[in-house]
Amino acid sequence: MHDLGYVVAGYAVTLVTLAGYRWRLALRTRRARRYLSTATGRTTAGRH
Amino acid sequence: MRRFYRLLSALGTVRAQRILGWATWLGLLVTAVVALAVVPADADQGDVQRLMYVHVPAAWVAFLSFGVVFLASVGYLKTGRIHWDRIAVSSAEIGVVFCALTIVLGSLWGRPVWGTWWTWDPRLTTTALLLLIYAGYLSLRKVADSPARRARWSAVIGVVGFIDVPIVHMSVVWWRSLHQQATVVRPGAPTIAGSMLATLLLAFVAFSLAYGYLMAVRMRVGRLEDRSALPVSELSTPRARRPRPVQATAVNGSPHHA
Repeated sequence: MHDLGYVVAGYAVTLVTLAGYRWRLALRTRRARRYLSTATGRTTAGRH
Repeated sequence: MRRFYRLLSALGTVRAQRILGWATWLGLLVTAVVALAVVPADADQGDVQRLMYVHVPAAWVAFLSFGVVFLASVGYLKTGRIHWDRIAVSSAEIGVVFCALTIVLGSLWGRPVWGTWWTWDPRLTTTALLLLIYAGYLSLRKVADSPARRARWSAVIGVVGFIDVPIVHMSVVWWRSLHQQATVVRPGAPTIAGSMLATLLLAFVAFSLAYGYLMAVRMRVGRLEDRSALPVSELSTPRARRPRPVQATAVNGSPHHA
């Protein structure tokens, strides 16, 4: 039962790491898009 | 090499990202359910062995990432094209995330089994060194003053740093190690039960999908950030009329455009 805590912690760490990194990439995308929109005066939706 | 580049470029499309995104989260969910509730616990270690289904695939993705860094770095040194540098840095960043995750998961597994969070065992030490090499790779990029120099320095580290990957893999064979020997990638047949091997292979697929998905998103971020770094005058010029900036120079001296 005690060992189960390590297993739960391991799977939780994995999920938080992957979701956290994905969230950070989304933030960087949003920041770069906002900068490009301001700099060019155009919306930057879609692929670049 | 060209085929490898085309494959990675295809990951950059919005459609590929969406498909990979759904496949990744579904794959990880199925892996977690099978690993935690379906496959039996290990006879010796009990439930804690279930950490293998995240620890080993995380290590695999770290190796895969650094392998891609190596190939992309060779591509950059050969051609001087900045696309290769963008692929290399994207993969290095993901590799660092998974390498750190491998160490944390190994530590969580080691505490109940070995009785310690950390020990200076050859496998653990060479893995920590691997993390330091690629964390250094990312740090170095922040201090280089020109894109061409940054890309060249990074490519050299990307090639030289990869030497540690086979050392990590062989460390349990070359030196006396507390870490268990390889059970899947080894001469002869795998030494684990069929159901455990099947679950591990499922986890490998799910984590490889996660790598593909994160690469697709990270490369998109890289393109946007590279555009953001251009002078405003170039940003406001329509793309077709914009003079193509020389972002990098090949090692042999011939310039290439981004």
